[in-house]
Amino acid sequence: MITLTGVTKQYTKDSIALHDIHLHIGSGEFVSIVGQSGSGKTTLVKLLIAEERPSKGKIDIGGWDITRISYDDIPHLRRQIGVIFQDFKLLPKKTINENVAFALQVAGEPSHRIREVVPRVLDIVGLGHKMHRYPYQISGGEQQRVVIARSLVHRPKILVADEPTGNLDSINTLEIIEILKKINEFGTTVVLVTHNRDVVNLLKRRVITLHEGKVIADEAIGKYRL
Amino acid sequence: MLSFLRVIKFAFQDMARNFSLSFMTVLILMLMLLSVNAVVVVRVLTAQAVSSIKEQIDLSIFFDHDVTESQIEDVKSHVNSFPEVTSVTYLTREEVLDAFKRQHEGSSDILSSIDELGSNPLGPTLIIKARDPSDYQKIITSLNVPEYEDSIEAKTFTDTEKAISRINAITTRVEQLSFGLSALFAIIAFLIIFNTIKVGIYTQRIEISIKKLVGATNWFIRGPYIVEATFFSLVAILLTMVFVFGAMRFLDPYIAIVFGTPSFLTGYFTSHILTLVPLQFFAVFTLTALTSLLAMRRYLRV
Repeated sequence: MITLTGVTKQYTKDSIALHDIHLHIGSGEFVSIVGQSGSGKTTLVKLLIAEERPSKGKIDIGGWDITRISYDDIPHLRRQIGVIFQDFKLLPKKTINENVAFALQVAGEPSHRIREVVPRVLDIVGLGHKMHRYPYQISGGEQQRVVIARSLVHRPKILVADEPTGNLDSINTLEIIEILKKINEFGTTVVLVTHNRDVVNLLKRRVITLHEGKVIADEAIGKYRL
Repeated sequence: MLSFLRVIKFAFQDMARNFSLSFMTVLILMLMLLSVNAVVVVRVLTAQAVSSIKEQIDLSIFFDHDVTESQIEDVKSHVNSFPEVTSVTYLTREEVLDAFKRQHEGSSDILSSIDELGSNPLGPTLIIKARDPSDYQKIITSLNVPEYEDSIEAKTFTDTEKAISRINAITTRVEQLSFGLSALFAIIAFLIIFNTIKVGIYTQRIEISIKKLVGATNWFIRGPYIVEATFFSLVAILLTMVFVFGAMRFLDPYIAIVFGTPSFLTGYFTSHILTLVPLQFFAVFTLTALTSLLAMRRYLRV
């Protein structure tokens, strides 16, 4: 599903974010990528959604070499990968319903399908009754659930979650992790980037540990070791 | 087609939800357009004033009172040979005397002096009108030759020459000032609009990057801004024209006192509306749309 071959990302001569990364994440896997601040986790996410391009190496997603992706094809790639951000990245001037619908509108989905799908997805994340509210009118945990709804609405095969619980309390953190597990159970590959020890230890899934831009551990059922 | 309709929908949704920003943008565009139209008014009034002054200028050739008909005919045909000359009016000695008496109706001393002379001391006159005040110099020079010395009072030429050169200098200066003022207003207007739009885009930079991360194409993001630029330009120009016509109706009675033409400015704007409105719309739209696209370019690189 996702294969990184010898990927290096160098910003300046002295700043190497990722160094010679070799990874393979299979279809339907739930992988946690852990590491301290500055270990290269966020750079890895940026490479996966083509926000950055590697300096060296190759990234293959579902048979698509995204290191050579054209500028015009980037939106098409992003419509196939769901992304959850730590800072939510919701459109402040759009309602919750409109935020989720936007992901389908950019993909050219017909209006009748959007009207049918969006409320259903919002119901799944427990926000159907708040669909006409604006992001500032709901809590942080609820905002993160809206982001999950937005990232799932076009049924992506891969979900990349970059520190999705970073701004949440422990109760909301557990809720979000439960939702991610359910999403994975339905067959979606989940890549969870986090530095939350409790979350990683609770999951008991594959853990890839990054340190100073290098993979220092890759365990099938791992623990947070840093 | 579906995407296009969504772009229009998003544009109107953004305008409504960013009402204060939309309102300020239209207001700034209106102020710019009002400045431009104020300059147009100044230029029109200047042109009309200059043309009125030019119309009042003529060259009068005063003949000696004992000049012969053939000498007058010689001068007349010589003057008529100039393509710059638009009209030549011949006044007989009697007509000149009548005009002189009418001109000095209130001055009994002057009139009684004429009567005391017993005969008409004034010679016949040719009144010449040319296309432009600068053309008179050429005619004056051509008449300032020994051939016509005996029949024409040369002193009159010198007086006219001075007046004409002064008017030419004034009109040239007024036109230069008007052009300079227009250029200054255009630069100020451009800078104000450029910065207003730039600040507007800057406040929406995060939204632009979010849209990109969710999978929107550049066109899908830029589209609403183009629609907004079109709408803002249209509203601004319509409101400006309402203000301009209101102001013209207010100013016209005062202008009529000077130029004697009723509804002079309203008439000018009405007859030129098909040029002024599209031209100003095109300029404002190009400026707003181009500034929007340039300002958001860096935020689209996500």
